[in-house]
Amino acid sequence: MSSGQWIANQVLNGLVEGLVVALVALAITLVYAIARFSNAATGDYLTFGAYVTKGAATWTGSLAAGFVAGMVATALLSVFFYGWVFRRLLQRSHVIALVASIGVAFFIRHTMTLFTGHEPFVFDVPIVRAWNINGLLLQPTDVAVAVAGVASLGLVFALLHFTALGRHMRAVADNVDLARSSGIDTDRVMIALWLLIGAIAAIAGTLVGLKSVIHPEMGWDLLLPGFAAAILGGFASPIGAVVGGLVIGLTHELAAPFVGYSYKLAVSFLIILAFLLWRPGGLFGRVEEVR
Amino acid sequence: MTSYLLAIAIQVGILMILTLSLSIQYGMTGLINFGLVAFYALGAYASGLLTVAGWPIAAGIGVAALVGSLASLPLGFIAVRLKAEYLAIVTLGFAELVRLVALNEQWLTRGTTGLGGIPRPFQDQPPIVQAALFLAVVVFLIVVFVLVSRRLTVSPYGRILASIRDNEAAVNAIGKNPSRFKIQIFAIGSAAGAVAGALQAHYIGYVSPDQFVAHVTFMAWMAMILGGTGRVSGALIGAFVIMLFFEGSRFLRDVMPWISEVEMASVRLAAVGLLLILATLYRPQGIVGDYSSR
Repeated sequence: MSSGQWIANQVLNGLVEGLVVALVALAITLVYAIARFSNAATGDYLTFGAYVTKGAATWTGSLAAGFVAGMVATALLSVFFYGWVFRRLLQRSHVIALVASIGVAFFIRHTMTLFTGHEPFVFDVPIVRAWNINGLLLQPTDVAVAVAGVASLGLVFALLHFTALGRHMRAVADNVDLARSSGIDTDRVMIALWLLIGAIAAIAGTLVGLKSVIHPEMGWDLLLPGFAAAILGGFASPIGAVVGGLVIGLTHELAAPFVGYSYKLAVSFLIILAFLLWRPGGLFGRVEEVR
Repeated sequence: MTSYLLAIAIQVGILMILTLSLSIQYGMTGLINFGLVAFYALGAYASGLLTVAGWPIAAGIGVAALVGSLASLPLGFIAVRLKAEYLAIVTLGFAELVRLVALNEQWLTRGTTGLGGIPRPFQDQPPIVQAALFLAVVVFLIVVFVLVSRRLTVSPYGRILASIRDNEAAVNAIGKNPSRFKIQIFAIGSAAGAVAGALQAHYIGYVSPDQFVAHVTFMAWMAMILGGTGRVSGALIGAFVIMLFFEGSRFLRDVMPWISEVEMASVRLAAVGLLLILATLYRPQGIVGDYSSR
């Protein structure tokens, strides 16, 4: 394989991985922009979504049905924790909400392992050979993952920019008091937000599961790249989060052969550090717009 | 029974030191350290490696404290430029990094096999005496860190710290440099975390990367929040209650023998999460928290 083909392959892998990270970063960013705290439970929503999708897919025999079930269940889980925990912490320091979200993360993950155990699961998808296009190896599952990832990102952005609900969400993100006094029902916006977060997390979880395996730590492992991407994107900018996700995915794949595959995660950490020191506002952030 | 109680008391003591470490950092200046386990690991490996190489245990623990505080310095310099939440994420990443190094740098840490044969102190004594003496060392170190915390809280230095936590701009305005204080406090707290790790290494005589996962950090967070942030007594009581709860859960298996050990581990960790949620919701000031302020 020539080095050009090698780079092309790594770029391709990086973009697919980046799409998944972008979904996680988008979920983190939306919560940060609208509910104003860093949600460390995002990763475990993802894990939950993957397990429910797997369970429902095995039970019904249809991956599509499992996917829908996973999205619905994770959306409900996410709204449940909003109603029980995060709604009551809205007026308090965002640090408290962050600590509570760690609690939520542990609670979800280990309640789940109580029933699922620690053995990994895989989706029953047929194993197919990679397509070879002039030396560019293309995994059909990766193509499916990429299409699903792009489609879901497109849907989320359509929701944010072309619907009344999306307009309301962006209004709340800009200024909660102004939004409320202009007659926006902020409670409804919050519930819609958390439903959306759950659905996004479940999509991300299923895509990770399709690419590799479903295991209890899968979401927690994606939390750091997700945060890195969100920080890269300015932490409050949805489009920034997506770009950040792609950048993280690409750097992971391109850097991995040099730093060793086991240090892929460390690359996220170094990106976070470099960015926070060099540009605390991120690529797309307004400087010091963070509350 | 005595040896069992001693073993638990030692674990309570080590958790107390970890909680004091957080309490010094978060309770006094509001620095969020979600990577406490990294310092715990650094301390364990530092002291473990040195004593295996023949150094005396006391020197190992001393170097562990030094390594912990030195490792905190770069983070401290970054920390003072960042919002509290960003520091939380950076420290979380740092903990991952340390764990990855412990896993992958076989030449130093022996990777997943772990580092065995770490000397335990007082080995020429009978087991009970050995444990009692070890407990005495733990208690002595707790007293040291409590005194350090006290000294930090009631001195003029401590009043600056409290004001940094409550209103950083005001501290700047009176001409004090909050960054310097924060970096120092971060280093002191990290040293305590590393000492806890060193003690754990010498107590069980073995370190491996799987001992240094995120839940160590959050056990201590839970203990601090439960006990009350910013209070030394809170950290001690919190750690005691948490350990009591977790040790108590072992007896739960005698009552409910159908639960396997693996399931019990899940239950315990789920309980860590649940308690964190409940503590933030219902007792944000903790058991002996500072009800006068905030």
